[in-house]
Amino acid sequence: MPENNSESKCPPSSCAANTCTAYLPTRAILSKVTEMAYDNYLFEFEQIDPIFSSCLPGQFVELWIPGVGESPISVCSGRVGGTLPLLIRKAGRVTKALFDLKLGDWVGLRGPYGYGFPVELYKGQNVCMIAGGLGVAPLRSVWQYLINHRQDYGRLVLIYGMKHSDEILFADELMALRQSHELELFLAAEDVTVCHIANLDIDAGRVTDLIDVAELSSDMQVAICGPPVMYRFAVESLRRKGIADERIWLSLERHMKCGIGKCGHCFIGGKFACQEGPVFQVTELANMHEVIEYPREKIQI
Amino acid sequence: MQKSFTLPKSDFDQFFSLLGQMGTVYAAVKVSDQSFAFRAVQSASEIAFDAIRTILPPKKFFYPPSETLITYDKDGIYENQPELEFKVIFGVHPCDLAGLGIMDKIFASGHADSHYMRQREASFVIGHSCMPDKHCFCQSMGSDCAKAGYDIFLTDINTDYFIEALTPAGDEFIALAQPILASATEKDHERNHNFWETRSAAFTNGFSSGNLKVTMEGEWDNKLWDELGERCLSCGSCTPVCPTCYCFDLVDIAGLNNDSGSRKREWDSCQFTGFAKVSGDFNFRPTPVDRLKFWYRHKLHGFDDAYADKTCVGCGRCTVSCPSGIDDIVAVVKALQVSSAAKNVEVSDA
Repeated sequence: MPENNSESKCPPSSCAANTCTAYLPTRAILSKVTEMAYDNYLFEFEQIDPIFSSCLPGQFVELWIPGVGESPISVCSGRVGGTLPLLIRKAGRVTKALFDLKLGDWVGLRGPYGYGFPVELYKGQNVCMIAGGLGVAPLRSVWQYLINHRQDYGRLVLIYGMKHSDEILFADELMALRQSHELELFLAAEDVTVCHIANLDIDAGRVTDLIDVAELSSDMQVAICGPPVMYRFAVESLRRKGIADERIWLSLERHMKCGIGKCGHCFIGGKFACQEGPVFQVTELANMHEVIEYPREKIQI
Repeated sequence: MQKSFTLPKSDFDQFFSLLGQMGTVYAAVKVSDQSFAFRAVQSASEIAFDAIRTILPPKKFFYPPSETLITYDKDGIYENQPELEFKVIFGVHPCDLAGLGIMDKIFASGHADSHYMRQREASFVIGHSCMPDKHCFCQSMGSDCAKAGYDIFLTDINTDYFIEALTPAGDEFIALAQPILASATEKDHERNHNFWETRSAAFTNGFSSGNLKVTMEGEWDNKLWDELGERCLSCGSCTPVCPTCYCFDLVDIAGLNNDSGSRKREWDSCQFTGFAKVSGDFNFRPTPVDRLKFWYRHKLHGFDDAYADKTCVGCGRCTVSCPSGIDDIVAVVKALQVSSAAKNVEVSDA
């Protein structure tokens, strides 16, 4: 891989006519890799295009490994400055290839794309964030944003569930949050036999158990991101707390290949997840098919 | 009122020569006993004027099955903008014109797709009237009369063509062809009107399309889907032949030394097993039934919200190309409508 960071190029005449291809990434340099837990790593990229400073919580970028392919990755930072951090699990072809790169190698980035969590709408209100597993990454961009604008928001609650307690991500940051009392933190794991973070109390259970413990009020706005199977149970629990569907926001997982509503891969019902989502208000998803999980029957959440 | 002209069929060779002055002329030619395809033609005699449907619709000219979007090397990433030949596409039927109109809307909206738009702009499209065969149901989908997607349109009125222009480029061409055209007379207008009246009455295939969304939603769990899913091969034949199927995959082609290469888009199909797969091998449409229903819904009403259009134009290509005989949209819709109507009777009787 070359180590210089040349600009992306298209013919000047086409740029002037605003006909540049929407599929052209800009280069970024891999500057730091931090192991988080198991196959999850925080990759940081520098020399990024200034456009990425406009990233909003819940949006995503297309990360391109030349010669391998692109993968949509959620923004996991509340404010993107000179560096773009992305939390990535070694899972598919593209993310595996990322682990073969050396510091200083270049990748391509496009975006940011989509509508994230409506942090403007949340202003003046109490906000609960519910994360399951890797879903904590996009929600990190939300809690960081909310804390950066702490005076604009009321009570902040973070509920984070995982399978095994040693899979916890951003543990140091969570510990600092718990000590700072900037938000109320509730953690649970289905298996708490191993915990490498001694001072982080992790309860045995699921996010639905924590929803009961957290004493959520019906006036809260709720941002949820996690595995599809979690959504139905989390939404049902929230409804039982008297939280109306229009206050519940889900980030839906789809393979957003192009990011601009053209390739068709993320089409759900009548909407492109990459353009109108990936974050949807639960009321928007009523009577839509294949929203959060298979099976065959129409899923009504 | 739109200005109209006529061209005697006996002068078509001259008309064809004028088309050739604009660029390479493509038209339907016979490629086997039963099939036609859009190919480059050198003379009018090669054109199959009686072709009903080509194997692939004209989307292939602007959205080729495989095209390079970007290239890269050690110094940078570049947009691929190849030199384009100007294409003159002759003989596009109303269903395919409706298809082009939908493709134009999809690729021009939001983040416009410059690759499609450049190729589309380097073209001149000549619509042509046709008579329906037993698989045509453009009338049901409201795409039997050309409203978009063409520059000029030719209606076959026996000894002459009745010609109308839709775009400024069409007007320019009409001005160029003025010496061989005549202004349409009242009689010509009557012949044109009569042709379309006769054609409207010639459809033997179709359904009532007013209740498609209600029918599809109400019949989502109809057993018919399971029967169709049992027979579906997930081969994806229905999607490349569709004038409005535009889903694609993005593919990297690495150079041997891995410091240069390209990124292509290739036609994809929602009927392929992995189309709706996400990380962790979770598949939102794992069975043929799921994928088939998705496709039917997409074609019949699924794009009402996104683009305010039904994306089926009633060309019948999926019906004739499906090796399992399950993409007979008309038969499927009718069966669902019968089931839906029976339920309504039950409700009103109760």
